[in-house]
Amino acid sequence: MASIELVGLSKVYAGGVAAVDDLSLTIGDGEFFALLGPSGCGKTTLLRTIAGLEEATGGRLLLDGKDVTTLPPGKRDVAMVFQDYALFPHMDVTDNISYPLRIQKVPGEERRQKAARTGAGLGLSHLMDRRPGQLSGGQQQRVALARAIACQPAVFLFDEPLSNLDARLRLEARTFLKRLQHELGVTTVFVTHDQAEALAMADKIAVMEAGRIRQLGTPSEIFHRPANVFVANFIGSTPMNLVPGALFGDRTEGEDDVLVGFRPEYTRIGTDGPYALRGKVAIVENLGASMLVSVQVDGQSVQALVPEGEEPEVDTWVLIAPDPRRVLLYRAGDGELLEASVQAAR
Amino acid sequence: MTTPGAVVRRILFYAFLAVVAAFWALPLLWLVFAPFDANPGLTVKLPDVTLDNFRRLGESPYALSSLRNSVLIAGGTMVLVTGLSALAAYALSRVRLPGRNMLLYGLLLLSSIVTGTAAMVPIFLLMFEVGLIDDRSGVALVLTGGLLPAAIFILKDFMDATPRSYEESARVFGASPFQVLRHVVLPIARPGLATIAVWSLVNAWGDFLTAYILLRDPDKSPAGVVMYTFYTEGGQANLPLISAFSLLYALPVVVLYLFVNRRYGFRFHGGIKS
Amino acid sequence: MTAVRGASDAAGLGRTRAVAFITPGFLLIGAFLVFPALWTLYLGVTDYRLTGIAAADPQVVGLQNYTDAVADPAFRRSLVLTLAFVFGSAIVGQTVMGFLIASSMRSVPTPVKVVVETLVLLAWILPSSVVAFLWVAFLNRGGGTLSAILQSPGTAWLLEYPMASIIVFNTWRGTAFSMLLFSAALSAVPPSQLETARLAGAGAWERFRDVVFPHIRGHVLTNTLLISLWTFNDFSPYLLTAGGPNHATETLPVFIYQRAIYGGELGYGSAISLIMLVINLVIALFYIRLLRERAS
Repeated sequence: MASIELVGLSKVYAGGVAAVDDLSLTIGDGEFFALLGPSGCGKTTLLRTIAGLEEATGGRLLLDGKDVTTLPPGKRDVAMVFQDYALFPHMDVTDNISYPLRIQKVPGEERRQKAARTGAGLGLSHLMDRRPGQLSGGQQQRVALARAIACQPAVFLFDEPLSNLDARLRLEARTFLKRLQHELGVTTVFVTHDQAEALAMADKIAVMEAGRIRQLGTPSEIFHRPANVFVANFIGSTPMNLVPGALFGDRTEGEDDVLVGFRPEYTRIGTDGPYALRGKVAIVENLGASMLVSVQVDGQSVQALVPEGEEPEVDTWVLIAPDPRRVLLYRAGDGELLEASVQAAR
Repeated sequence: MTTPGAVVRRILFYAFLAVVAAFWALPLLWLVFAPFDANPGLTVKLPDVTLDNFRRLGESPYALSSLRNSVLIAGGTMVLVTGLSALAAYALSRVRLPGRNMLLYGLLLLSSIVTGTAAMVPIFLLMFEVGLIDDRSGVALVLTGGLLPAAIFILKDFMDATPRSYEESARVFGASPFQVLRHVVLPIARPGLATIAVWSLVNAWGDFLTAYILLRDPDKSPAGVVMYTFYTEGGQANLPLISAFSLLYALPVVVLYLFVNRRYGFRFHGGIKS
Repeated sequence: MTAVRGASDAAGLGRTRAVAFITPGFLLIGAFLVFPALWTLYLGVTDYRLTGIAAADPQVVGLQNYTDAVADPAFRRSLVLTLAFVFGSAIVGQTVMGFLIASSMRSVPTPVKVVVETLVLLAWILPSSVVAFLWVAFLNRGGGTLSAILQSPGTAWLLEYPMASIIVFNTWRGTAFSMLLFSAALSAVPPSQLETARLAGAGAWERFRDVVFPHIRGHVLTNTLLISLWTFNDFSPYLLTAGGPNHATETLPVFIYQRAIYGGELGYGSAISLIMLVINLVIALFYIRLLRERAS
């Protein structure tokens, strides 16, 4: 168990590229923490810096209050699960799981028993003699997890733990991982580019872009109250509508250059409201139990998610209006959330 | 398609293939038949089968000892090349050393330019001055020097293609660098190392020039040189001896090639991977 | 996955240990490749000999070795012979045969393919002195297989047609490399392009000219350069003819051996060696430049 604290942490490569740019955050003991962002945002570099595989060029890193910024990777009491699992192909499952214990000089018999116990806890008992090449993707992931668990570290680090699994397995694995972390109670930091995954699993999320944190908060905060346009765009299975304030005439008070943000999930067709717009239905996409309706308003596409059966005909003129309590106003210049609107919305 | 033109083309095609196959097979067939022939001639002919020729090998003072010398020299070269190139290739692959790219480029250039033939004279003089003339270890050292650049290049490419996550994983679990090398890198690099080992062994085994210019004593000469003396010494060539000897000398290479091909499918064709 | 990180010291080796790792290998390379090449520069301007006065007290003679070489008809002849050897057996022989065999093997049942490829490969991997003797036997006037087949006893091929003999020999010996290379190159030609051409009505020759050749053109060039370099440095003519009869097959490698090692003219031999090194350098630079162009 350990808390993690980053104080002004930076990782700048030769040539001036700042993969991690002056980051400060605290991860609580036992927290399931997600680093979320598009590729190249620095989340994996940050994870590797916590592990010690990359050396920070500035700032400090504290594990459980102890400054480990310059401590070599093997001495930080962290365990890392890589995206490709990095199971040693020439060792069987038992040897793979017990490898960290071997380094810690735990005697052979004790190692084997510990590995067997950990493996059993993850449903691997019948696979202990196999080589990684003989295992399925899901099984390999569990072996990699068992190896991390067996050495009882203070912190788990997962690099895109679910990306190598088939879509179907991924959903099962999500639940499995969340339950596992909850039972073990070990502070866990995981990296992902999949916003749905982060929202589903994490206790706290840091949304990153270009080496900086754009927002830090719980999944609920991030989803309902994105702090800026970048986060608003990144989060949510359907993109948030961001409509220039001008389209609403003079209904938006105060600053002129605003972007009005509202999610298609909270938008209705046919009802009126303070933020209603009038436009022509361009496309209707079938998403199963709901339909995604795209309406063209003055050259701008505005989307609403409606239950099946309630979708309008293409090329008809309709009213499209968000729930006014769910509307957020962003400043068009820097994309930041305008405080005033949040109070009005909620 | 049975147009007359197509038929003629087919016939010509197979005639061509027959000529090709015959052209390559004929000189080789002697090696298949003559060693087992009680009365071998220079022509390829069906043998009067016997194993006597192999017994004759003991009669020649240099035949068997030369094979032993070949084993020593080629074996030594193999060990040196594999060991040294593995160390260098790993370091060059994983650690950012200053001037690394220039070094590699220079290596590639060097190995193409300084061939055994072009360096014949200075090497001869060098070994003479250093006192390693007529010394089998001198031959192994020279051969090693010649094979190292290519070996390092090939192994480095191989290491580059191996994911680093194995080593990093072990490292995060607390393994020291040498433990990482021993537990993780060595086992995973085995196919590459085996390839280099076989390649350097085969190259050294077939060497003629280096041994020819550096060794004086026929007792120390490897099979390649002794083979040459067998068929160029004056008088009647001792065909029973030569045939048995050349088969023994040639066989290890064939066996090794088949083994490597079957195991690793190693086909080296100048940069195009298949 | 995330962007390429370049050389990342995954095992934590550190610079010092890394340098220690590369040192022994590079020491050997330095001693047996770099040093001899550089030493040739010096030796080539001396009158070094192994025996006699000059052995005890070698003198710097400036560029005399080089002027001697240019004036030496034996050297000039050797150069010409070497060029003929390279042209005949590498540029024409191995390249053409390698290509023909590689493309033929694509339309032939597997057992035939295995047999032919194995034969060609065996010729390449067997030790050079064995292969040389096989051809000495094959070409022998009295009892050789060739004479037996052609019913022309009495033709001492190696004596009467020495250059032709060694050119044919070297083609036989080295075709395997080109065959492997062309085999891979031909496999890399996208079948969909060939099929498009076929559907458009192109015949075999047109398909070769318009689809296959553009794809393999780069490989032809680099392959030819590489095997030319190897053939230029090839010592095996010595094993067949020792440069004879009467210097008729004295290619440069053999020439250097005869004059420097056998004859003891080390200074002169060094000068010729330097010339060889320079020629090798030119070819190699060309080759590497082409490789890089292809890679980008």
